[in-house]
Amino acid sequence: MTRSRSPRSRSKRPTGGPRRWLGWALKLSLVGLVVLAGFAVYLDAIVQEKFSGKRWTIPAKVYARPLELFSGQKLSKNDFLTELDALGYRRESVANGPGAAAVNGNTVDLNTRGFQFYEGAEKAQAVRVRFSGDYVSELSTPNGSKLPVVRLEPLLVGGLYPKNLEDRILINIDQVPPYLLETLVAVEDRDFYQHFGVSPKSIARAVWVNTSAGQMRQGGSTLTQQLVKNFFLTNERSLSRKLTEAMMALLLELHYDKREILEAYLNEVFVGQDGQRAVHGFGLASQFFFSQPLAELKLHQVALLVGMVKGPSAYNPRRYPERALERRNLVLDLLEQQGVATAEQVAAAKKMPLGVTKRGSLADTSFPGFLDLVKRQLREDYRDEDLTEEGLRIFTSFDPILQMKAEAAVGETFKRLAGRKGSDEVEAAMVVTNPETGEVQALIGSRLSGYAGFNRALDAVRPIGSLIKPAVYLTALERPSQYTLTSWLSDEPLSIKGADGQVWTPQNYDRRSHGTIFLFQSMMNSYNLGTVRLGQQVGVPNVLKTLARLGVEREFPAYPSMLLGAGALSPMEVATMYQTLANGGFNTPMRGIRSVLTAQGEPLKRYPFQIQQRFDPGSIFLIQNAMQHVMREGTGRSVYNVLPKNLALAGKTGTSNDSRDSWFAGFSQDLLAVVWLGRDDNGKTPFTGATGALQVWTSFMSKADPLPLDMPQPDNIVQAWIDPHTGQGSYANCPGAVQMPYIRGSEPPAGASCDAQAPATGDAVMDWVKGWLN
Amino acid sequence: MKKWWVPAVSALALLNGCANVPQGSIPVVDAGIPVSNSERVSAQRATNQYPQATAARAPQAQAIPQDSGVVVMIPGGGAAVSTPISSEPFTPGPITPGPAAAPISTGSYTPSTSYSMPAPITPSGIPSSNGGLAADEQLDGPVLALLTTAQQQQSSGDLNGASSSLERAQRVAPREPQVLYRLAQVRMAQGDAAQAEQFARRGLTFASGRPDLQASLWGLIAQAREKQGDPAGAALARQKAKVSL
Repeated sequence: MTRSRSPRSRSKRPTGGPRRWLGWALKLSLVGLVVLAGFAVYLDAIVQEKFSGKRWTIPAKVYARPLELFSGQKLSKNDFLTELDALGYRRESVANGPGAAAVNGNTVDLNTRGFQFYEGAEKAQAVRVRFSGDYVSELSTPNGSKLPVVRLEPLLVGGLYPKNLEDRILINIDQVPPYLLETLVAVEDRDFYQHFGVSPKSIARAVWVNTSAGQMRQGGSTLTQQLVKNFFLTNERSLSRKLTEAMMALLLELHYDKREILEAYLNEVFVGQDGQRAVHGFGLASQFFFSQPLAELKLHQVALLVGMVKGPSAYNPRRYPERALERRNLVLDLLEQQGVATAEQVAAAKKMPLGVTKRGSLADTSFPGFLDLVKRQLREDYRDEDLTEEGLRIFTSFDPILQMKAEAAVGETFKRLAGRKGSDEVEAAMVVTNPETGEVQALIGSRLSGYAGFNRALDAVRPIGSLIKPAVYLTALERPSQYTLTSWLSDEPLSIKGADGQVWTPQNYDRRSHGTIFLFQSMMNSYNLGTVRLGQQVGVPNVLKTLARLGVEREFPAYPSMLLGAGALSPMEVATMYQTLANGGFNTPMRGIRSVLTAQGEPLKRYPFQIQQRFDPGSIFLIQNAMQHVMREGTGRSVYNVLPKNLALAGKTGTSNDSRDSWFAGFSQDLLAVVWLGRDDNGKTPFTGATGALQVWTSFMSKADPLPLDMPQPDNIVQAWIDPHTGQGSYANCPGAVQMPYIRGSEPPAGASCDAQAPATGDAVMDWVKGWLN
Repeated sequence: MKKWWVPAVSALALLNGCANVPQGSIPVVDAGIPVSNSERVSAQRATNQYPQATAARAPQAQAIPQDSGVVVMIPGGGAAVSTPISSEPFTPGPITPGPAAAPISTGSYTPSTSYSMPAPITPSGIPSSNGGLAADEQLDGPVLALLTTAQQQQSSGDLNGASSSLERAQRVAPREPQVLYRLAQVRMAQGDAAQAEQFARRGLTFASGRPDLQASLWGLIAQAREKQGDPAGAALARQKAKVSL
């Protein structure tokens, strides 16, 4: 029999000697008792301090934007279902209970789960969403009364952990699903509710089983002992540790009741490893394996999780699905034997698949690039300990659906361009924002999605090439008395003598000059000669000032080569710059974080939307017009091989010397994306901005289905009819006449009507124009 | 085999007396409470007790007031006389490809406005419905609901919450000048006159053809400039406010 005695009581051995021996023994055992008592006091202090204080440090949790639902919203049913799957919504024939969804044709019924947001609580509720095309056509309750707006709970996209950290989602014992407690007790510690920390009965059973089997088959540890072991002790296997464990288990049971111990166990237990991160507790395990809140788990899922406690790596359902399934079914059998579940329930549960989320699905993907951005923004306001220990909840603008589309665009484009020699060494970065809110929605820091290394979107600072040109032309267009979109510009060779006496002779990409052209044509075709000439006229320092007003904080020397983008920026900085162009001349600092809540769900910090007008909307309207020409007929025109012709877009290609960097930055009304392709060693690539980055951009936009660019015409803009050959004022009914926008007063004088019988009334002309436009 | 714990327990019993141990319940004050998706709305924790998680489970009807008749946008009751918004599309110059450096040639691509949009409203744009509706009535359901929420938050003194709700409305309808106007108002109330002016200016760029709203926005700009110590700018803005009306 296991006579596990305290070492100090060994002196109590009966000697049968004289009485003084007995006296000594008595004294010694008293001493022993005092020492033991001291030890117990010490252990008791440990137990109480650790158990009653802050038991766990919780890494900050990072959430994606919550999906908003409202009638008229642009959202395809497919994207919606992707989001629901990622949130772990069960598909049922009739949505029943939180986290359930039922799809019937174009209608989706679901029961949202509710969530605590910064500005208040979103209730759990039953919602019916009807789709029409790629829009939500109706949002109502299941019985048909209209709902104005509903938010889903946000997807948990990651946490902020130091290396090798335990991660968990704390749950309370009232939140557990049916069967969990019963299953846990049945499998791990049948006598849990009877024993007082240690169970002589199960130790005896373990010893019996192990001795008769001749090997370690069964442990006699109670749940309390397991908790103590994980909570207070190391993994060392020795008798003294075993004894300490037993004592602590007794102490724990003395102070705390069974439910509290069980609750601590539920949160402490180790259930798997996710890279550096150790998955602890059933709360996180439920998210990690099923993407569902613990409370929603069904019998078969509960059985799997509890079964995994015995060997989290051996029974990892993703790596060893068959073994895990066998173990789960064994647990289910046990439940039937012990009367926890009926034979029918067990049989039904056994028929279910494992149900763990698939690798590569939205729920099981990591987004290190975006999390890196979040971390950097948070570091400005919080200490590292706050981020990794306090369980803060970080609400971001991250859009997982756009992120998946961006990743797919990068992957597919590289696959398509794989034939190009040298394309294998080319890396990629991408930033996707909403130009109207200044929020970062997706971010790619590496060609390999999910790769947490060098974040090129933030840290690859590379020459931007022709991406600078909008700044050059905008500088000119801000002087309407001197420059309009149809000002003449010479694209003839030129040489510039620098301060150091060196002569710089820029060239066009096609090494030809294109004579005298309209200003906007030089921009749309990205002609270097015309651009440098214009830049020299307005002055390089002024162009750099424009760049700064656009939101670029980096300082550059005022060399003429800056006019062709010799200055280097990161993709994120480029996004800031183009953001101002896309948003009517209003600059807004890029934000990835909306708000931070404490672990208790109380508002802690907000990152408010801020804007600042940096340009007159009129000149922005003109530069946007020129950038739309880039897409229609300039260097970006290949975009309309893929995208619909009626989708207005604006953008600019960029290529640095020897094609070392391939850039594209462009926007629609609601989406702005910057793509960079290049090599980490700054070597040559086989791509220009148009053949590389633009292809990724196009692929992304075709997946994201943006709204067409539609900047309201500012009051100081007039549309004038001009002759496309001469740039002279013309008339609407003249052959070949085209309309161009001008800052009021800078338009060419109107020409005469070409039709002698032209009706004099303006209305008729407008009708005619409308007919022509449509 | 039970011997070893007997002294332990007795020692403890002894010690308990002097250790002054809070018996019974664990003070459950972990840093995290139910986090993440398991954190239900109902999870407002009482001091020592976990909440019942059941409250949130029952599907409940949405409590957002659908229409509480909040017509708060334009001070001075200008809403009623607001002119309908022009939905006239702006069209970029219809110029099509030609050989490089060739003169512009006429061609046609359909201008932007006819992009497929089955829904009757344009959530990310200026409400395009015409007819004699007043500006406030033209607001979309979600925007109206969120403005109403923000209004309630503001009147209860929760300016951060109001701000947050308004930014949510701005994400739903980024070009709705009334949202920008309200954002400017709340920034003003928060003491950030500079941002108040900026949001009002942004609102103006979307308020074409809405003189009442323009006047209100200019009025707010005047206030903001006054606060920023720019009386001349404020006077100018007040002038504009009058012209708009």
